[in-house]
Amino acid sequence: MRDALHEALATLRAAKGRALLTLFGIVWGTASVIFLTGWGEGVAIMMERGFFKTGRNLGEAWAGRIGEEFTPAVDRRWLWFTTPDLERVRERVRLSELVGGEFLAWTAASYRGRVRYADLRGIDPQAIAIRGIDLAAGRPITQADLDHRRRVVVLGDQVRRVLLGPQGGVGSWVRLDGRPFQVVGLLAPVGVQLSQDRMLIDEQVWAPLSTVQTHWPAWWTDEPVVSKLVFRVRDRRLVAEAKQEVRAILAERLGVSPHDDEAVGIFSTIEMLDRFPLDEATGLFFVLAATTLGVGGIGVLSMMLDAVHERRQEIGVRMALGATRGDVVRLFFLETFAITAIGGVAGAALGAAGAWALGRIEAPDLIPIPVLRPGLVWLALGVMTGIGVAASVGPAWRAARVDPAVTLRME
Amino acid sequence: MTAPAVIELEGIEKHYSFGRSRVDALRGVDLRIGAGEWVAVMGPSGAGKTTLLEILGCLSRPSAGRYRLRGRAVDALDGDALARVRGAEIGFVFQSFNLLPRLSAADNVALPLVYARRPRAERARRAREALARVGLATRADHRPAELSGGERQRVAIARALVNQPSLLLADEPTGNLDSATSDEILGLLRGLHAEGNAVVLVTHDPAIGERAPRLVTIRDGRIESDRAGREA
Repeated sequence: MRDALHEALATLRAAKGRALLTLFGIVWGTASVIFLTGWGEGVAIMMERGFFKTGRNLGEAWAGRIGEEFTPAVDRRWLWFTTPDLERVRERVRLSELVGGEFLAWTAASYRGRVRYADLRGIDPQAIAIRGIDLAAGRPITQADLDHRRRVVVLGDQVRRVLLGPQGGVGSWVRLDGRPFQVVGLLAPVGVQLSQDRMLIDEQVWAPLSTVQTHWPAWWTDEPVVSKLVFRVRDRRLVAEAKQEVRAILAERLGVSPHDDEAVGIFSTIEMLDRFPLDEATGLFFVLAATTLGVGGIGVLSMMLDAVHERRQEIGVRMALGATRGDVVRLFFLETFAITAIGGVAGAALGAAGAWALGRIEAPDLIPIPVLRPGLVWLALGVMTGIGVAASVGPAWRAARVDPAVTLRME
Repeated sequence: MTAPAVIELEGIEKHYSFGRSRVDALRGVDLRIGAGEWVAVMGPSGAGKTTLLEILGCLSRPSAGRYRLRGRAVDALDGDALARVRGAEIGFVFQSFNLLPRLSAADNVALPLVYARRPRAERARRAREALARVGLATRADHRPAELSGGERQRVAIARALVNQPSLLLADEPTGNLDSATSDEILGLLRGLHAEGNAVVLVTHDPAIGERAPRLVTIRDGRIESDRAGREA
């Protein structure tokens, strides 16, 4: 066996040009499969990351008008949620693990003569947990801030840079519509979001829900209004049921039909994500990869068939000198196995290194990073080796089956 | 007393089929060649010389008839058994040398030993010895393309004798060589014959045939004459 391997390698060295071309086909095919399939999965992950930047498994509910189907047009009154509604939902939901409230206002934020019109959000600790944004400095808004209606804010990254500049930070005092607020925390940069309402999180100013309700009250009511409810679905497969559960609780509170989705509108990033044909995209990438592998395989196949055909006389000579059919087949098997194994491993390494390197470079958020799957690496290797070996062993077996006299006469 | 037979052929026939037509390359050949004999085979093109040599060399199986090589019936052996017989008993010298272009002279010569499963060190030693016997000790690492025609044929002879076969088969061994080189190659073959090897040599060249101790002439697949060469 060692002799045969030694000879196989010597033959490969002797036919460098062909060996290198075959090698290239195998390296390219294997690397492409690993990279492209990984890329397909990377796109899915990128989309999920982009959508879940506003909160993983997020649902948002807002109040609208009673739907036309449920009431005469004259009675289509406007609806709104209040803090007791939020608490009721929090008590009763089973399919969502967190429920938070937000109140949305606009404010002129100023600091040392700089003014910025900002998206002000009254927010509570559960909503903060759902959003899941890291803090760059300071602390988040706490239940104690809400209980005491403290005038504290947490600034989005963009607001911090534009409003505070290099001088300000945690502890600085800013004015919101003229009222002083102390900066207690700074949000880490969020970057590109595939889902947003009004403004990016980087451009938002967060303050305690109760504080905003008090200082920016709704003009139509004295109740503590909650602009929207945010909730995190426990199991994303049950998103429809979770939405319906929240809608039913709120509908009961508002005295509207639980089927009126104009009265209680609910949006979910899970559904947005599910609407994208991500499985199909992954499938498409897989088909592309398989095609590349197939094309590489056909290249290897034709080169190997050619090589065996050209060497039929050599097979005759070897057999005249005492080689059995097994010897001939073993020689071609080892030659192809050596080249496909070297090429396959190099291709796998190239594909894996490419995927790894792309994951390491500083790239914008929306560049998909290929995902490496060891099973796929083995599959690609197996297919390439299989094609190569079959392409050389089959014809070698056939060539070794005829009398050596016949192959020797093929000059 | 005649020498023990290396080759015994009885009623050997060989047919080739091409679609519906059939070519009878050999039609009932009987031939006995003793150990250490030198036999030249002559005949016009298409007479069946090469077919006879292929059957003698176990490169092809007869369609009918019996073939005993050193007393062993080989006409019914399967492919792998024939391969082992070739490796152990027969050395081939071809008109076009049939060296493997990618291997060095030494590796070409060592090839029969690879298939005889000899250890690597022994292969290397015996290949160099065989090359030394044909006067090419210094060319062991050269590839066939770097050798002259005569040198290539000498490498082929070294390859044929490296396994110490009892039978040397040469198919027009000087067909591609000039006359001076031809003499040199024939001289080498005669030397091997003198050491006790049976040599069967197919040739077109009357000068070579007539100088052989035994000359078999073939025509239309049959042995036309079997006699001593005139100048032998």
